[in-house]
Amino acid sequence: MIKEVVNVKNKGKKHYMAVEFEPSTELTGGAWYDDDGNLHVEFINIVKKCCLQKIKQLKVATLETVLQLFKTSGVFKADLKEHHFEEILGALVLDNEVMEVKSNGMGEFGAIPEGKVCYKAFDKQRVGAAAEPRIGAMASMPCGVCPRIRSCTPDGVVSPSTCVYFQKWLEF
Amino acid sequence: MVSQHGILYAVHLITNQFGNLVAKVCECLLRNGALTLQAIVRRTELSPAKVRNCLLVLIQHNCAQAFILEESVSGEDAGEPGKALTQYIALFVNILHRVRFSKFMDVVSKELGGSCGELFRGLLEHGRLTVKQIVDRAGANAKESTNTVQEDLGKLVMAHYVECCPAPEPLVPPPDADTKKRAKSSKVMVEPLTLEQRVMAVAMPSAMRRFSFVPNADQVADDQQNVNQPPSKDVGEKRKLHDLESDTALEEEVECNWRANFEELLRRLRHKTCVDTIKVRFDDAAATVLSAMLEASRAEEDKVKTANSVPLSLNTIYEEVVKNEKNHSMTFDHVRTCLEELSCPPTFVKTDDESYSIDFTKITEAAQSEEIESIVLKRFGETAYKIFRLLFRAGCLMETDKIADKIFAEKKETSKTLFKMWQDGYLLMEKLVVGGTTTGPSYGGSSYLLWKVNKRLLRETVLDEMFHAALNLNLRLAHEIDQNKEVLNLPPDKREGPDKQKFDRLRNVRLLIHSSLMKLDDAIMLFHDF
Repeated sequence: MIKEVVNVKNKGKKHYMAVEFEPSTELTGGAWYDDDGNLHVEFINIVKKCCLQKIKQLKVATLETVLQLFKTSGVFKADLKEHHFEEILGALVLDNEVMEVKSNGMGEFGAIPEGKVCYKAFDKQRVGAAAEPRIGAMASMPCGVCPRIRSCTPDGVVSPSTCVYFQKWLEF
Repeated sequence: MVSQHGILYAVHLITNQFGNLVAKVCECLLRNGALTLQAIVRRTELSPAKVRNCLLVLIQHNCAQAFILEESVSGEDAGEPGKALTQYIALFVNILHRVRFSKFMDVVSKELGGSCGELFRGLLEHGRLTVKQIVDRAGANAKESTNTVQEDLGKLVMAHYVECCPAPEPLVPPPDADTKKRAKSSKVMVEPLTLEQRVMAVAMPSAMRRFSFVPNADQVADDQQNVNQPPSKDVGEKRKLHDLESDTALEEEVECNWRANFEELLRRLRHKTCVDTIKVRFDDAAATVLSAMLEASRAEEDKVKTANSVPLSLNTIYEEVVKNEKNHSMTFDHVRTCLEELSCPPTFVKTDDESYSIDFTKITEAAQSEEIESIVLKRFGETAYKIFRLLFRAGCLMETDKIADKIFAEKKETSKTLFKMWQDGYLLMEKLVVGGTTTGPSYGGSSYLLWKVNKRLLRETVLDEMFHAALNLNLRLAHEIDQNKEVLNLPPDKREGPDKQKFDRLRNVRLLIHSSLMKLDDAIMLFHDF
């Protein structure tokens, strides 16, 4: 007669609904959440990986191109809409796997109308490219990543002379 | 306004090189701005003679500048009404340059050769020298002839690596007249110049005078001295007067002090950073093309923080590329392709009607973003990295739940990470209460936390942390050397077993800390000088 549904925004409270109704995506969280209301990390990573592969094949791709490719291939059983792929491409940009740029209609953007938003993969295979992101100057020394830098003073309890991170860094 | 750790770092550099007294005077100026001699004496509690000597050392090494303000002096230092008092200001930027001497030497030696490099080293070591002092030093060290030394000095001046020193006590006009003039001509909002900038703008000689070196001026001066001896019966009064006038002009010429031109050297280092940034993001060919553009447009650059280079045609760029023997194999089409790549978003090279110009601001901002993202990733983790990139690009306030959705992270983890970043000054936070009364959400309203990256404040925070880190590296090195004093004092043949291990470890520690300091200084330049 009734079933329990998970509200992703308020998992602490129990919610019930008649069995003939389907909960809206506002309650369930949508395609990216599993039946228990948790983020489906594995599924998200798979979709991200597939999108990245497609963009690398095409060198430069728009959202519509990526959407069309997945629709025709039918790789995913889940009903993924345009906004889902937009979110995934946004996440790839934040992961620094792809660049979001506006086409200038020249060179590799020749096939894309000028001003259209498109996505370009970073070419990590080219000669001279670093396999991993470059570590900056600050990040390559203890102080740059120290959680106690604000408490650190020359003569204080936390100081360069007594610092355990420095000690470890200078172990040869 | 110099940050707290900036001041501490600068004072540490001065202490290491000139001692505690000079550092005390320097710190007094850095913390209080421009001061008269009496004010410095009062604040430091040193005798006037000691303060004067310290100021002379700082001025000699271009770390301080004297000046007189045109407006009437009032307040605690007022002497006779309308009497202008000499004030002194610390030159923070020049103090920072003292750790960059090896980089400057590298730039000069690579371009002009070893003998110019050696001459340049003398100017860096002594701060400022007259031509005679330069010649005497070269003669004593490397037995160079006067002509060779003057030739080398001429090359350095022509390349703008060496300049005539600024006026010793220039008269600085009030700020209002200067700002109004600049605002009127530019028709945009003009940021007022700092006192340091105003003083140096007035103190600097004109471009012609600044880079005008007459070789053999001392030889001519010697000849003039012979002329000044008792005249022969053939010399009339008119001629004497003419000789006296030219004698004065020559004395001024001969007495000109010469020093390293840090502006030009900074510009070169900025170019190097731009080329390195492009090399990492693209490839060697793109870096070669950018390098050629920088070389071709160098003469037109008039300040370090230029936003764009002058426009260049494809032909000019190609000609510059193939000037270097190593690039003879690069074709015209290859150069054009590289330029098209560089013109693609993010646009590091702007195109306009078949001409190309470098967007220095974009390249610098890209390098700065990379540096900050690297810190965020290592210090706060991957989730923080994504949050930071999201908020940096958005440039506006964003609510916690929305951030969690965008980065595909759990809301609890997102919240925790946001607070950590906010506590360290990397994010701004605002609380928004919707509905209910002003007394709180318990009366029916809900509160939301909104987050934002303020780019200007963030750059200042990161720069201050860099100064702090640089100071820490120096202090740690001093501590390590102090802890291993006995081992350092042992003769090499007596270092065995544990002593040798300690010595080897100390050598590695020194190498690591020095290379980290150099790398960190590149990052400091990126945020402070470029």
